Amino acid sequence: MTWLSDAVVGRLREVATWPELNSDRYEIRRPVGRGGMGTVYAAYDTVLEREVAIKVSNALVPDDGLEERLRLEARVLARLEHPGIVPVHDAGVLDDGRLYYVMKLVHGETLAARAPALATEADRLAVFVRIAETVAFAQDSGVVHRDLQPANVMVGRFGEVLVLDWGVARLVDLIESPGIRVGTPGFMAPELQRGDSATAEPAADIFALGALLTWILGDAAVPRRLRAIADKCAQPDPHDRYANAADLVADLSRYRAGLPVSAHRDTLLERAGLWFTKYQTLVFLIAAYLLMRALLAFFQRIP
Amino acid sequence: MVAYSFAFMRFPMTRRSVLERIQEGDPDLRRAAFGDLTVAYWRPSYRYLRLHWRLSPETAEDVVQAFFTTAFEKGYVEKYDPAKAKFRTFLRTCLDRFVQNTRQAERATKRGGQAMLLSLDFPGAEHELAAYPALVVDDADRFFHDETIRALFARTVDAMRDAFTREGKPQIFDVFARHDLHPSADATYATVAADLRLTTAQVTNHLHAARRRFRELALASLRDVVATEDEYRAEARELFGVEISPERSRTGV
Repeated sequence: MTWLSDAVVGRLREVATWPELNSDRYEIRRPVGRGGMGTVYAAYDTVLEREVAIKVSNALVPDDGLEERLRLEARVLARLEHPGIVPVHDAGVLDDGRLYYVMKLVHGETLAARAPALATEADRLAVFVRIAETVAFAQDSGVVHRDLQPANVMVGRFGEVLVLDWGVARLVDLIESPGIRVGTPGFMAPELQRGDSATAEPAADIFALGALLTWILGDAAVPRRLRAIADKCAQPDPHDRYANAADLVADLSRYRAGLPVSAHRDTLLERAGLWFTKYQTLVFLIAAYLLMRALLAFFQRIP
Repeated sequence: MVAYSFAFMRFPMTRRSVLERIQEGDPDLRRAAFGDLTVAYWRPSYRYLRLHWRLSPETAEDVVQAFFTTAFEKGYVEKYDPAKAKFRTFLRTCLDRFVQNTRQAERATKRGGQAMLLSLDFPGAEHELAAYPALVVDDADRFFHDETIRALFARTVDAMRDAFTREGKPQIFDVFARHDLHPSADATYATVAADLRLTTAQVTNHLHAARRRFRELALASLRDVVATEDEYRAEARELFGVEISPERSRTGV
């Protein structure tokens, strides 16, 4: 019997599912990631002379569930033109029947990997707001992501933030997605956990965004108003959450500007604190001016 | 766009797992299933005994013979519970216990003492061990897993070579051997094409055909080393990162 070294066994595992494209346009170079639905390869587009990524279905034979999800993902991505969403260039079927689509190759790392390098609350919030803005755009286009979590967010080399894995997304009112239970524990809305995915509304993404906000802020002491924003996202009843991601982004913007947020009713003391924080330079200038006037008046009285 | 490939239809439409066939109750079916099981596992078992248990070649050979015949006679496999462990882990654990019991009795099964002697290529397996100099087995389960996959792929490569030869297409296997199996450091489609006096397009097509055949045969063989449909799908996912739906897995894909 033929004896195979570890290296040959490894190579056979790789080449056994190597994509067999029926055109010379794309040269497959290396696998860069593998998920439950598909495997992503780095490839070279010989026509446009640029690197691209090709996502190939993991279903070796026609499989309605997986193929439908990959096809749906390609369509969702093609429909959503936004800096936070990877653009799709092409789609097709391999010689062996597997579906694939071609997209921009993103150089970077997942949010799960990048998070420890985000040192300050401001850094973490900046990334989170980009995610929430992308989800807001998707919702405005009638798309619910349904699986927002740190591994599905990519942070690029130049700080660009991309929301990935739209394979279980739902095109509200247009395409009924497959009746599968979707989401990631810890980021999954209660209504999705109950298996009510067919009626998933934007509120499910709000819940996931709240979990993501709590996750990204980590163990550090979180200001009360920011905690209130996360808590409002994570309400068990979808009606108690933000109506959509745009409202969440608006509240976060108010928080970052030092203004009151809708998720939290400020006490008088907190309002005074907010006012002071916002106008502290002016307050200090006026205080310094008054102090100087008082000192001048004092010294003028001394004979 | 290309039409779907239905190459998988070449396989029998109903391939049942080893466990299902052994549990069927038909003695002939049980014997055949056990034969498949032995073919799939005797080599990994032999290497495991030689490298993990550090048995001598003669003792390892005796234990392999005795283990598979005893497993057949005493119905080891029928006792497997999928809820408790993977079939491969179960089999390795049985083998461990068998070795311990044999040692405790201080009487390794006498050579030729079994009623049924399996015809297995022990000299060949021993020769292959030369490729494992000073190997230390830290993780027994991992080692047994890797050896099972190595043996599965080796059987697949042999079956593939035979199939292409039988079909009068040995050149397809030659391309596969030169590019994927035993490539030289500078092997490219162009160098393989030049070596075999083919065009680059022919090399591309041959490689596609060979890789697909390898995948199909390997997945078909995989059924003989697992016990249940769930395990088959999980192993396919682990082996090639592919998903096989429950309905499709019944067709032997």
